[in-house]
Amino acid sequence: MSHANTVDPRPRCRLDADDAWRVHGLRCRRCGTVAAYAWPRCPACAGPAEPAAFGPAGTVWSSTVVRIPVPGRTPPFTLAYVDLDDGPRVLAHVPGADTAPAVGGRARLIAPTGSDDLAVETATGSTS
Amino acid sequence: MTAVAVHGVGTSHFGRQPDRDYLALAHDAVTEALADAGTDSVDAVWVGTVFGPPGIAQRTLRALGITGVPVITVENACASGTTAFAEAAEAVRTGRFGRVLALGLEQMSTAFSGAITPEPTDPEQHAGLALPALYAMSAARYLHLGAVTPEQLAAVSVKNHAHALENPRAQYSGRYTVEEVLDSKMISDPLTLLQCCPTSDGAAAAVLAPASGGGREVGLRGVALRSGAPWNHDSPHVWGFDIVRDTAADALAAAGLDSVTDVDVVEVHDAFTIGEIVTTEALGLVAEGEGGAAAATGVTALGGRHPVNPSGGLLSRGHPLGATGLAQLAEIVWQLRGEAGGRQVDSARIGLIETMGGGVSVLDGNACVVAVLEAP
Repeated sequence: MSHANTVDPRPRCRLDADDAWRVHGLRCRRCGTVAAYAWPRCPACAGPAEPAAFGPAGTVWSSTVVRIPVPGRTPPFTLAYVDLDDGPRVLAHVPGADTAPAVGGRARLIAPTGSDDLAVETATGSTS
Repeated sequence: MTAVAVHGVGTSHFGRQPDRDYLALAHDAVTEALADAGTDSVDAVWVGTVFGPPGIAQRTLRALGITGVPVITVENACASGTTAFAEAAEAVRTGRFGRVLALGLEQMSTAFSGAITPEPTDPEQHAGLALPALYAMSAARYLHLGAVTPEQLAAVSVKNHAHALENPRAQYSGRYTVEEVLDSKMISDPLTLLQCCPTSDGAAAAVLAPASGGGREVGLRGVALRSGAPWNHDSPHVWGFDIVRDTAADALAAAGLDSVTDVDVVEVHDAFTIGEIVTTEALGLVAEGEGGAAAATGVTALGGRHPVNPSGGLLSRGHPLGATGLAQLAEIVWQLRGEAGGRQVDSARIGLIETMGGGVSVLDGNACVVAVLEAP
């Protein structure tokens, strides 16, 4: 969907030279907190942030299938919170999954969706 | 500092009322609260609303004859009404104003056709994380950990809808079975329709002033407000747990209470069933992982050891965002005065309200308010 007059606030995901998708965010040089965003300061301690890349692998913290209308999207669609290895917890779409992927299962960043959302594929099937 | 008391409360009916404008809703709440307090004037007004248009506070209040006094509008997501209350109380406590009106106001049915539209300036909401989905993530995590069962989630809905049978102002009520709750339409796995609060229009108000020992005054023992710190894998808890735990600790300390279990009656933010379960655990009413069982076994029901949401909660009363916190306050005031009718908690002396909300990405909630109140 288009959001007129709105700078896209979502995390930036890029295909690196090793053919892996990574989220480009920040790491705090003072407390080590990580985030999926290129903010000027650490959200936890206000310390100086430096650019950092995370992924592509991680673990599903939780997941759901959204079955209600959300503007610009066609239900159902599947979402997961993924804890990227040594990285932040990110919200990602799970394209093609018609059930919620297993919590605790492995996930891997893939190319963003056609709507430019972060996306992951999960190793195994669903919880139900 | 001045001891603060709630001198009067009032609310509109709660429900889909698109034919009633902000003024009509506010009129019901403010008129009742002023009459309850035995006054017709206030020195200042704090108004909590989330989706109210610019100027809605003054536009509404002028038609009630409340003009020429300071009017301050606050937005803190689902805790907007309780934030207005907390700030109004602080203004009385510090002597800034003598008698203050706190008003919560929201008309959702004309703003949204269904669930609240995710906010496009927020990254996760931009990505489609509607609020039911955010809570569904917590519910799915609890299920994975074995901290709750689907039947226990449903038990919260069964309990609160049954409580609301005795609340004539509630949007919905009913005697549902666990099976009926689980069989209702899936909204965001694992949360079904009857586990989600409805879209509501409503207003609620309170009049605060120095305590004078009056027989109907409900004393404010302590109140605390926090905004969310970053929430990520450093926390072992689901979204919203830590902020509720920490805000409650602040409020209990301010109230001089040793333990939350000294509280007799509680109104908490059950926008979704999992929300009540997480909150009862975060407050310390029950141990972590016991919130679902507490709902299923009657511990948190009327007549149980720790009655939670005797009004029916947000799940039944409805959730007009800005009004919710002050509707919770009104319920606790009625409970502590012994005016709650068929849903009265016997001999309630100490009451607590908790509101939290907001889906700003990375943060553990936009805001949480917890207040502890004492019977006259």
